[in-house]
Amino acid sequence: MKRYTYLLLLPLLFGLPACQEEELGCCSKPAAEHASASATHATATPTAALTDMSLYNLESEWQNQEGRKMKLPELQGKVQLVSMIFTNCSYACPRIIADLKRIETELQQLDRDDVGIVLVTMDPERDTPARLKEFATDNKLDPSRWTLLTGEAEAIRELSALLNMKYKQELDGNISHANMISVLNEQGELVHQQEGLGVSPEATVQAVQGLVQAL
Amino acid sequence: MKRWFLILILTFLATGQAIAQKTIPQHMVPIKGGTFVPLYGDEAAPVEVKGFLLDKYPVTNAEYARFLADNPKWEKDAVKPLFADKNYLRHWDTGQGTAATGKAMYSPVTNVSWFAAKAYCECQGKRLPTVSEWEFAALASEDKPNAAQDEKFYQRSLDWYSKPNPDILPPVQNSFRNYYGLYGMIGLVWEWTQDFNSALLVGDSRSDASQDRQLFCGAGVNGAKYVGNYVAFMRYAFRSSLKANYTVANLGFRCAQSIK
Repeated sequence: MKRYTYLLLLPLLFGLPACQEEELGCCSKPAAEHASASATHATATPTAALTDMSLYNLESEWQNQEGRKMKLPELQGKVQLVSMIFTNCSYACPRIIADLKRIETELQQLDRDDVGIVLVTMDPERDTPARLKEFATDNKLDPSRWTLLTGEAEAIRELSALLNMKYKQELDGNISHANMISVLNEQGELVHQQEGLGVSPEATVQAVQGLVQAL
Repeated sequence: MKRWFLILILTFLATGQAIAQKTIPQHMVPIKGGTFVPLYGDEAAPVEVKGFLLDKYPVTNAEYARFLADNPKWEKDAVKPLFADKNYLRHWDTGQGTAATGKAMYSPVTNVSWFAAKAYCECQGKRLPTVSEWEFAALASEDKPNAAQDEKFYQRSLDWYSKPNPDILPPVQNSFRNYYGLYGMIGLVWEWTQDFNSALLVGDSRSDASQDRQLFCGAGVNGAKYVGNYVAFMRYAFRSSLKANYTVANLGFRCAQSIK
């Protein structure tokens, strides 16, 4: 009889690693989801509930240029200008930074607390938080205004999809990418985009001003 | 005797993990790695694809319905418009019956967004295939892993693509089976890929070539090599027109897995 008990145990043993693996890869089952939802409510989300079209509904985890872990809802409450870059980029990225600075200058009369600028790397392997920090310093990006983010390749791809941003890693280490500045309202909804380099910032500035006034 | 069984069990415990990783999951086939020149690639620099596993069939309506039962946040009424547009699973309301039991239960699920497809695959411990992986696997005819030079194969593919979609898509098992044992890579539905937004073919670059450099950093834009492969061209063009929350009546997906 004992022998049979052992035999019965065998499939259990085989089943075990498989189950664990499944749970790791799987999105949360309803019960687990409730648990985590109530946990976030209990802990630190001082901000309002996210709207349905908020990009901050993405649950991915990021790191800023200080190496601090953060989630996108932390960007809530400010109008954010968002662009995707990689610091090894020699042609377009410096120009997109220049375009963003031009917009920043135009917005000088606005309260610093109302507008943020977010740069998201498309090259997480090379753009570590330390590298992003160096890039921010080299380009004199005011840390009270500029947030530089890196994350898992998957998370970056997901955010790029919501920003309608196309990019592709080339074999030579370059990244072909669209050049785009997106404006998110204080809830994280995409409200305006300018595409291309050296575009007149007027429309984007107006979009930001309008949003700030509505704050 | 008792001791003998204990030893046996311990041995299984130790090797179980290794065995589990080498076993190919049910309904997946291994795709041996290799190189190929993608449509917008450079013939001097073929793209390398590492060996990977790919689902034999596109995900069916019945399978997708089971996923929803476990993950109600992806139900039609619950899903956020950010992650799926209003046509999400539209065909379940009209004609094809509900997926789990209806006439279309073995047909590929369509009207699903990239986010939904991605979540489905993650729930299976899988992921969406990359464009390169998908295109590499789709190069196969019935008897050759790479039918890139086979004009007859292209012609047949073109004929498939030029047929209108039937009201009810055929069951996945009835579709074209290629060299690897993959069904429906051609002639059934379009399929989502992980990096569908990597094809740099935007409206502006098509209408005004001089603007390319203003829009893109890098050189990989628009330099199609194998225009002969019009079928692949259609796929690249289609992908570049998609957004991640779009749902389309003939766009489905299948999942992939890296080989550990």
